[in-house]
Amino acid sequence: MDTFAALAHGMAVAIQPMNLLYALIGVFLGTAVGVLPGIGPALTVALLLPVTYKLDPGGSLIMFAGIYYGGMYGGSTTAILINTPGESASMATALEGNKMAKAGRGGPALATSAIGSFVAGTIATIGLAFLAPWLVDFAVRFGPEDYFALMCVAFVTVSATFGDSPIRGLTSLFIGLTLGLVGIDKLTGQARLAFGVPELLDGVEVTTLAVGLFALGEALYVASRRHHSEEKLEPVRGSLWMTKEDWKRSWKPWLRGTMFGFPIGALPAGGAEIPTFLSYSTEKRLTKYPEEFGKGAIEGVAGPEAANNASAAGTLVPLLTLGLPTSATAAMMLAGFQQYGLNPGPLLFAERPDLVWGLIASLFIANVMLLVLNLPLVGLWVKLLAIPQPWLYAGILVFATMGTIAAKPSVVELSMLAGFGVLGFLMRRFDFPIAPVVVGLILGPIAESQLRRALAISLGDPMTLLQSPISATLLGIALVALLAPFVLKGMGRFKANED
Amino acid sequence: MYRFPARLVGAAVALTLAAATPSLAQQMELKLMAPAAPGGGWDQTARSMQQALVASGVARSVQVTNVPGAGGSVGIAQFVNGAKGDGNQMMVNGFVMVGALAMNKSPVTLEQVTPIARLTEEIQVIVVPANSPIKTAQDLATAVKADIAKVTFAGGSAGGVDHVMAALFAGAVGADAKKINYIPFSGGGESLAAILGGKVTAGISGLSEYEGQIKSGKLRAIGVTSEKRIPGSDIPTFKEQGIDLVIANWRSVVAPPGITPEQRKTLSDAVEKMVKSDAWKEILKQKGWEDAYLGGDAFADFLKKETVRVTDVLKSVGLVKS
Amino acid sequence: MTSGDPAQPPRRVDRAGIIIAALLAALAAVLVFDARGLQSTAMYGMGPEAMPVVIAIGLALLAIGNFVDALRGNLPARESSDPVPVVLILIGLALLIAIIGFGGGFILATSALFVTTSAAFGRRAVLVDSIIALVMSTLIYLAFDRLLTLSLPAGPLERLL
Repeated sequence: MDTFAALAHGMAVAIQPMNLLYALIGVFLGTAVGVLPGIGPALTVALLLPVTYKLDPGGSLIMFAGIYYGGMYGGSTTAILINTPGESASMATALEGNKMAKAGRGGPALATSAIGSFVAGTIATIGLAFLAPWLVDFAVRFGPEDYFALMCVAFVTVSATFGDSPIRGLTSLFIGLTLGLVGIDKLTGQARLAFGVPELLDGVEVTTLAVGLFALGEALYVASRRHHSEEKLEPVRGSLWMTKEDWKRSWKPWLRGTMFGFPIGALPAGGAEIPTFLSYSTEKRLTKYPEEFGKGAIEGVAGPEAANNASAAGTLVPLLTLGLPTSATAAMMLAGFQQYGLNPGPLLFAERPDLVWGLIASLFIANVMLLVLNLPLVGLWVKLLAIPQPWLYAGILVFATMGTIAAKPSVVELSMLAGFGVLGFLMRRFDFPIAPVVVGLILGPIAESQLRRALAISLGDPMTLLQSPISATLLGIALVALLAPFVLKGMGRFKANED
Repeated sequence: MYRFPARLVGAAVALTLAAATPSLAQQMELKLMAPAAPGGGWDQTARSMQQALVASGVARSVQVTNVPGAGGSVGIAQFVNGAKGDGNQMMVNGFVMVGALAMNKSPVTLEQVTPIARLTEEIQVIVVPANSPIKTAQDLATAVKADIAKVTFAGGSAGGVDHVMAALFAGAVGADAKKINYIPFSGGGESLAAILGGKVTAGISGLSEYEGQIKSGKLRAIGVTSEKRIPGSDIPTFKEQGIDLVIANWRSVVAPPGITPEQRKTLSDAVEKMVKSDAWKEILKQKGWEDAYLGGDAFADFLKKETVRVTDVLKSVGLVKS
Repeated sequence: MTSGDPAQPPRRVDRAGIIIAALLAALAAVLVFDARGLQSTAMYGMGPEAMPVVIAIGLALLAIGNFVDALRGNLPARESSDPVPVVLILIGLALLIAIIGFGGGFILATSALFVTTSAAFGRRAVLVDSIIALVMSTLIYLAFDRLLTLSLPAGPLERLL
């Protein structure tokens, strides 16, 4: 097949020593920056653009690809270790990952996330090489009504993050939905819930909310309970590495996560968050150890982490085949292409195959490098947890606020961060689940604007949701997923597991 | 960067230079605000200016600060209040800010700042999917006149240049601009997908964003908004198709209010020198930006006219209460 | 905050739960109030005010649900909570915001947060912690400024660098 020859040729380009070096610099920078909450790979690429234009196009694009993949790795490290998701896509990882770290299983959590990312990244990159043209045709057919239906599926499945009480879970979700309303309405430009504060017009930043609720809220909560018992963190309990059991429990979630991440990432408005939630919910439903969920189940780390990285490869599908930038980082990479007068799209494959295939090949290499770079670091990262508690939490707070200070150094933004910290503390204290708030903030606005776009196109006719086959199918799935638990309950499981 | 020593060195250099050349600009230390997050168009403009100002020797050091928020509303408020009378500060802005300030009912307006110069502009284009029955701007005009609600335009954020342009198009062909069915998308990628997938009738964007699609034949460009045809391009302008629609997404640089005429002249001269430098030309080429330098009072005039035009359009589509 | 003791008998009205329900109801009211001020400018389809109203209805229903739960005393038991460290950390955050707001710069602001948090977790060696905090935040500042060319808020200390 043609693709193989092209890929082999690309591999030859990518393993030139200079290009290997660029890839290495890229993954290193990406990991370092991905660790910082609020400073994502997009920003790094943006800042490095002017530096790289002196390099040759191939080299600098390879470096950007490395940053992109590296950023995805870095975000999960902090999510697991200190409950501070580096970006919104690693939020689902924090749910179980941090619980594992607290139970002394940080090593396996980091390992399954690194290996899962590698597996997912590799499979997804293969998908990018072979399926891209076919996948993109499908992706472009996704209209606003179809996205809305996809959001419905996501909404139904987030109940997996609800905990024991549906009322408290829904309360959290609706708080998130309310926060999602804040700011300029995307479709009419009118301000909602901004109360005349200009800083609120841009809405609530997902990372600000996640960092506030997760990291700050956690620190406040732990501080308030210090008199009960000195919470002793044991960095390593049991094996530092993944046991046979861990491998057995991880490989299926890796593959399933990839199946969610890659296609949804390839959708122009798919993003990385939705597949991570879908993966988390799926793993929670399918696991043989449901009692471990919420206390540190390895499946809950393996799946979302794989989904997260697979979606990163997915976004490259529309970028390379159509020149469609579907994430902030992809947009920056597009700018990177353009600074050399290159326009990604079908023509690029024909005009500069060396470049495109060199880039795809270097994605494989970046993946290997990340694994090599990250696995030995696991032991080092885990030792961070051995820092005495006062310094550990003080460091976490500094670290958590730093991202906000760097990205948006305004009093309003910082006050919001502190406010979300208090909210996170109170929610923990009164036993409301945290994750649905962030889920509501992410999904609510997307669902609303896609529904309104669909209705504007159809001139207000809601039947448009059922006329599109994709949308009708997805809504059907959502309905089944919504009703299935009730049906199962009716079959005699009622009240069986109330604790 | 090395701020303190730089100042010392700067002073020393200035002393020696003051004896040799009368060039005061040699010791300029500028602060440049990008009223947007790092990475966006205004930030890139600011950082490019930084590069060109230093490389061409116009300024000794340039510090870029980012103040993101609400299409520049947050940035300009801070700029007008915090930098008043400071002859060493400038702010990047552009078309989008005009609409954003009007829509957000900002207490601060562009009338308060001191205009320095327009720097770049980007030509806008209307595209349709390759298999669309619409072939020319007149076809689209006919469709709009037949049933304006059924013609859906995809473009960027509400009140931005794409939205204003959709309303201007409808007005120019004699339809009721109030009734346009404009669907804002976040980011170029998403709207491009909607156009390629045939979900909307037409798409509006900056030309460079869709250039690849147009060249590869996936999209058909039915008109560009420049006065004259772009050299080397076979896309007709709206004007030559009999539709009076000329608009560009421009970016400019302004100074704070309350600066002296001398300070204004120093800044204007510095920017003019930068624009003429090779470093700037090199950057424009790299980024694919169109040079649209317009300085002094001509720019002040232009800014006033654009503000009136944009505000009128936004009122007509109901985004700004009159 | 009512600090009920763990052995609280069930079926007692939970005051905190009632407050939560009231807050949710208030939030719903704010949403409706805010939505009423929006003009429905969208010519086609759904206006900007529809979604807030839907969410407000949801919040109102949840307020009722939480209220019922609170009356029945169905809330999970809570352990006592020590307000002192919480207040200390909040003071730290307030200091951080104030120092940045008044142009004191990144290093001082971050150091203040570090020291108060560390104190909240039981450390009493304020001087040592201050030195650690200053060194750490200076290094962070330099890394951002030099490597990423991102200017963090600058104050008197930053200008010396």
